[in-house]
Amino acid sequence: MSTMTPAPVEAAPETRRGRSARSQLGALAEPYALVALLGVVVVFFSLWPETSETYPTVANIQAVVGNQSVLGIAALAALVPLAVGQFDLSVGAVLGLSSVFSASVMASGAPIPVAVLVGIGIGVAAGLVNGAIVTVLKVNSIIATLGTATVIAGIVTLKTEGGSIIEGIPLSLTDFGSGNTFGVPRTALVLAGVALAAYYVLEHTPFGRYLLSVGTNARAAHLVGLKVDRLLLASFVIAGGLAGAAGVLQVARGGGANPGVGESFTLPALAAAFLSAAAIKPGRYNVGGTLVAIFFLAALNSGLNLAGAEAYVSDWVNGVALIAGIALASALGRGRAAWARDEGPSEEERSQ
Amino acid sequence: MNGAVSESPRPRASPRRPALQIAGVWKAYGPTQALRDLSLALRPGRVSALLGSNGSGKSTLIRILAGVEQADRGWLEIAGERYSADSVSPDVARAAGLHVVHQERSIFPQLCVAENLAIGTGFATGRGGRIRWGELNRRAAEVLERFEIAARPEQQLASLSPSGQTMVAIARALQHQEGARDGILILDEPTASLPVQEVDRLLAALRRYAAAGQTILFVTHRLPEVRAIADDVMVLRDGRLVGELTGPDLDEGEMVDLLVGTSTVQRAAAPAARAAAAPFLAVDHAAGGSARDVTMTAAPGEVVGLAGLLGSGRSSVLKLLCGAVPLRAGRITLDGRAFAPRHPSDAIRAGIAYIPEDRIGDAAFPAMDVTENASALVLSDYWRNGRLRHSEERRDARDVMGSFDVRAPSETAPFGALSGGNQQKLVLARSLRRGPKLLLLDEPTQGVDVGARAQLHGIIRDAVAAGAAAVIVSSDFDELEALCDRVVVLVGGAVGSELSGAELTAERVHRAAFAAGAGP
Repeated sequence: MSTMTPAPVEAAPETRRGRSARSQLGALAEPYALVALLGVVVVFFSLWPETSETYPTVANIQAVVGNQSVLGIAALAALVPLAVGQFDLSVGAVLGLSSVFSASVMASGAPIPVAVLVGIGIGVAAGLVNGAIVTVLKVNSIIATLGTATVIAGIVTLKTEGGSIIEGIPLSLTDFGSGNTFGVPRTALVLAGVALAAYYVLEHTPFGRYLLSVGTNARAAHLVGLKVDRLLLASFVIAGGLAGAAGVLQVARGGGANPGVGESFTLPALAAAFLSAAAIKPGRYNVGGTLVAIFFLAALNSGLNLAGAEAYVSDWVNGVALIAGIALASALGRGRAAWARDEGPSEEERSQ
Repeated sequence: MNGAVSESPRPRASPRRPALQIAGVWKAYGPTQALRDLSLALRPGRVSALLGSNGSGKSTLIRILAGVEQADRGWLEIAGERYSADSVSPDVARAAGLHVVHQERSIFPQLCVAENLAIGTGFATGRGGRIRWGELNRRAAEVLERFEIAARPEQQLASLSPSGQTMVAIARALQHQEGARDGILILDEPTASLPVQEVDRLLAALRRYAAAGQTILFVTHRLPEVRAIADDVMVLRDGRLVGELTGPDLDEGEMVDLLVGTSTVQRAAAPAARAAAAPFLAVDHAAGGSARDVTMTAAPGEVVGLAGLLGSGRSSVLKLLCGAVPLRAGRITLDGRAFAPRHPSDAIRAGIAYIPEDRIGDAAFPAMDVTENASALVLSDYWRNGRLRHSEERRDARDVMGSFDVRAPSETAPFGALSGGNQQKLVLARSLRRGPKLLLLDEPTQGVDVGARAQLHGIIRDAVAAGAAAVIVSSDFDELEALCDRVVVLVGGAVGSELSGAELTAERVHRAAFAAGAGP
């Protein structure tokens, strides 16, 4: 068998060295390219006469950071299933469902902690349904979560009859949503806590490593003894829980629940989660990269907004970012997997 | 005609003129010489069987004839037209009348028969590019009748028997030939995955096509099929044509002699008979996957080989033991206790290490780094007081790289950046970190260079000397001879024979695998 290997093993390391030497600089710069781009955007809008008055102000920075907290948690929700190689297109819908139900619970006089638990619990339940559809019914996750997102949107309409819930939201909650602690928006502190927890779970626990292993090669993960289906299910449950938490935070930030608000989060959340593979830890979906991506998009949109750009421009930015993120992630992933394919068993060997 | 080196006059109507002549073809893959000055000729209107073991060069030859790979030197002559063997592309091969049919690779089970016949050769289309179904089905019906295939054009291909599906693939390849004498049908192991009665139907169909004048080159491992169908037999070994036989009355013994050659390497003194340790593993009439009835044992300190042809069930035995394939019947005991793994984690806990054949697809996390791959089976050891000890994990990975000579730029290099041999050393070393009591190795040295191969053998021997039992599947019978104390030869999913001591030579293993190659 070894006598018929088309891949010349001896020659390979040399080409590899040559290739890596050329791309060494690129490899060093790669993790921070998006960070640098964020810096460029901030500097540009700070100096550009159109926006230099309004952009680099404490108020604007607080607004941008505060506004991104809900989206940030939604993006982390989308990130966890991505780590195991699955899509969750229902993060926005689950966020909306959670915000509607937690707001309505509060409006009926329940204490805030109960409302928080209701919101997170609804998210966990939705995640269980998504996970069960993917692992038990073996439905592709894109289809499964697109389906549940649609069903959830229907539930939200049924519950609200299209109207927003703004009455009866406790002041203490809306104060939390709009207030600052030492100049930092409190919602941003929540995002920081959630991000830290997600970082810890993904990077510093065996569970996180197992999730990433399944995302890299599910067959190999199975053969090294991992319970792949359980890990997939867990990733959807975590995503649901995070989306539920984001929903409650949205009520705090917005002072109520708008039945149409949820869906608007799905695309930017996924775009940021995808873009994360292009930053901090290139080729791998990661928490740091997700935050960088969120604030890159926010800094860009805020600048365009202050410059008087029409609202549709931010749709363009988010759409292009999603595609660019996926393209970059797959290009970086290809670069890494290409080595593997070069050395893989040839047709010849397998047919023997 | 593209690729023609010289224009020869039209073929004379001589019946002795070969349909296909191959002369002086060389092909190397890196340092490996796959074909050495290969010359052979196919006579028109006859069925020629091409035989050869692993590494004999027969797959390389088929790929060159299909135009998928180009030879380094040599030429082909087809129907009087000469082609340089280094410039045959798939288009040239097709235009020259070489029709290669790969089983299972070129059919579309979800589409109907007519669509399968039209794909690749063009649909009958009308205005606006719409498919003219009537025309398509009429043409398909003609082809089905011409090739005597019992199927309707609108039938879904998957609903046909396996032999019927293969015949559709053959008919598609041949349908545009002017006459049966024009082209050469090359079948690459068409029967490898067919049940026995299906094989007979396919062979009967091939005989009919040959009787109508079709020239056929038939690649197989199964000697009884060769006897049943071939007029001529050509045997390749080490990239050369080592023998030709002409029927009728082909002798299987003679074929095996040619396939195996006379072994010049004598087995080194048989290892001293080991003290008969109680077997750690006992498999009793086990069935699952393509294994039908396998009984075998492996004791601590013992290396047991599993040999057999493709589809003999050798890989299935390992998958049964590692929990990847469920046990259908029979019984497995480990250390005297019944063992029925439902998931690979059960096998890992029981002290079993499984090294799959497909390193990249089944064993590795190519986009993850060397450290993460090295600790995939022992990760929980690094989880202490609520965090993963990353620096300790990396230090141990460096130790593994050092003690198993895994060469990588660093322990944080992506796994995919390693050469095949180093990947395999890492995969093996990873499993050994758990101190397994039973090693299951599927083609452990496939696709690695000579140096890495010797190192891998050393690693396996060391683990066994330390008290593990090992079961090795390899289609390289020299490797089994060199490494094993005993070799169990599987035939059609059951144990055909067992060789040990002085009997255990690559040649004997080879004969045992083929001699009983009567199929299931």
